[in-house]
Amino acid sequence: MRLTVPHLGHMDIFLNAMAKRIGPEFIFPPKTSPRTLLLGMKHSPESTCLPFKFILGNFIEALERGADTIAMMSEHGPCRLGMYDVVMQQILKDLGFKFDWITMDNTRIWSDYLLRFDRERRKRGVSFWESIQAIRFGCRKVRLCEFVERMTHQMRPLEVKRGEATRVQNDCFKFIDEASDFKEMRWARQQCLERFKQIEKDDSRNPLRVLITGEGYMVINPHANQDIEQRLGEMGVEVTRTMWFTSQISFALHLDFLNPRSKRKAIKASKPYLSHNIGGECNASIGYPILFKKDGYEGVIQLLPFGCMLEAVAKNILVRVSQEHDIPVLTFSLNENLSETMITTRLSAFVDLLQKRRERKRKE
Amino acid sequence: MSIRIGIPRALTYYRYFPLWNTFFADLGFEVVVSRPNHRGFFEEGFKFADDDTCIPIKMAYAHTLHLKEQVDFLFVPRLLSLEPRTCFCPRLAGLPEMLKYSIPNLPLILNPYIDERYRNSRLFHSLSEMAVTLGKGPKEIKQAFGKGEMAYQHFRERMEKGEEVAELFPKIEKERLFSQKEGRRKNIAIVGHPYCLYDPYFNFNLLKVLGEAHVSICTQEMVSRENIDSEIRRLGKDIYWTFGREILGASLYYLHSKRVDGLIYLTCFACGVDSMIEPLVRHRFREEQEILYLCLMIDEHTSPAGFLTRLEAFLETLDRRETSRSMT
Repeated sequence: MRLTVPHLGHMDIFLNAMAKRIGPEFIFPPKTSPRTLLLGMKHSPESTCLPFKFILGNFIEALERGADTIAMMSEHGPCRLGMYDVVMQQILKDLGFKFDWITMDNTRIWSDYLLRFDRERRKRGVSFWESIQAIRFGCRKVRLCEFVERMTHQMRPLEVKRGEATRVQNDCFKFIDEASDFKEMRWARQQCLERFKQIEKDDSRNPLRVLITGEGYMVINPHANQDIEQRLGEMGVEVTRTMWFTSQISFALHLDFLNPRSKRKAIKASKPYLSHNIGGECNASIGYPILFKKDGYEGVIQLLPFGCMLEAVAKNILVRVSQEHDIPVLTFSLNENLSETMITTRLSAFVDLLQKRRERKRKE
Repeated sequence: MSIRIGIPRALTYYRYFPLWNTFFADLGFEVVVSRPNHRGFFEEGFKFADDDTCIPIKMAYAHTLHLKEQVDFLFVPRLLSLEPRTCFCPRLAGLPEMLKYSIPNLPLILNPYIDERYRNSRLFHSLSEMAVTLGKGPKEIKQAFGKGEMAYQHFRERMEKGEEVAELFPKIEKERLFSQKEGRRKNIAIVGHPYCLYDPYFNFNLLKVLGEAHVSICTQEMVSRENIDSEIRRLGKDIYWTFGREILGASLYYLHSKRVDGLIYLTCFACGVDSMIEPLVRHRFREEQEILYLCLMIDEHTSPAGFLTRLEAFLETLDRRETSRSMT
């Protein structure tokens, strides 16, 4: 069995770490490139959303590389994600690929994730302790990756030589991915901290702070949102995003009760505007700006794939949130016709606006 | 003077109006429905609507605008689900807020939260909660709700027999009687969201055009619940959208039972449900090749010419098929 999964944030690092210890063999799709999107666009129905096209492209490239089993999550909610598996299987079969498909239903965490994992573990003769260790190891790696990302977000607006933070970040990811046990992980962590310390920075700057929220896939994947974090960072803006791999896991397992900026708190904060949870990231997208405004964030960018059913609701309501909480919101509705110029122009206009607001506030 | 409650003639109006109407009328409210669509009417709503959503939602904006001045309350239910295990498009669930925050000076919106996905008494509870705030007693409410449900059941039964379609467009019925003499008429199934199918302005009077072309029409409502269920079971995947499930089940039923000569799938631009269901339907029809398939997509710029040309070509192809079949 050579398993493949779509790219989703740092999931590949997590699974790679786990697979090296207890198996199974993973074949990851190559890094998402324009070719991926082209393949996805060519074979998917035209009115599907952007994540569908990216993920389909990922699968085609992975199957070309020799994968024979696809694992894909599914759900039972109002979002289109739950239907991806049927439509994708049909398209891939039409293309002549031979593969097995594993659907992991998010509403059946017990049977589709945990019991299946246990069954596989026994089949392989891996002890329970070993598998727990492997998962812990993977989680540690992902957390370190996200720690590095957060540092990069803070460092980018301060760096003197443009692009250095991004370079260091990519090096750090490499260190982390290569570490093979807990001891090497500690070393990698040291290395990361040291490398970041060496970056020449200008502390006199007072960067703007912007929150990136919206649909999960678009927020978490730099290839889907056209490296919006890097672009903003190099314009001198400190960013953070609402969607992290670990935050999703802790949300699903109810482990985030101590985090004041968790998804659950965001959903609660959105209550006055949308009184019922209608699923997906919609309520959280409304609630996060309210929460992060208290932390001193000055602007919000909402990302959604064109035609998204849930985020379109959030988009309408965010207009009011923006007025009442005095925080500017910029919405990007992205489809496959991505234009770099459009994104840079709109971003720099937005940053200018925030800059002006800040000056005006200071005068008052 | 009785309280006037406005119901926009959009979205779920085309399916659940009998229920709402009977319920409110029995409680002694005056129900005001916005006027039917006409040229230049729904463009008004576009000024307020978000550019990302589909046209049916934009139309709901237009109808709400139209009702704004005339009513005391607007009735826009927060519909998550009305049938067990299925749900609606999430845009319907967010609609009350979308309207409230986009259009200024709206009357108060009555938005009972309706989610029958896992519990099946939710509809009654939320409707009665709403009616209590309007000053009605529990006994009246129960009675009105019973009548409303009866009216809805009756409506569905009539739809299943194909009566309601005929009543919506009385002309078709007459045409049908005429053309009965001309030998076998073609059967064409039309599937799509109810608000695409039954809004004559929106779909350029498709049903009437087909009626004039001496075609008898079947819709998804004419397929019984059991048949839809068995088709979905055969598919192996539980479709969780109410309308999507209905559309897919009905078209597969028409495909397998060979009761029709052609099937038209009516969809609108940026519809999330159709973007996933349509490829499935298309694929099945392509594999079988028995029944002609046409997908018509409507958006706000479609001109009737393009739409009708494709329809005519479809009908022509049906004719040709029949002649070539009878020759061999």
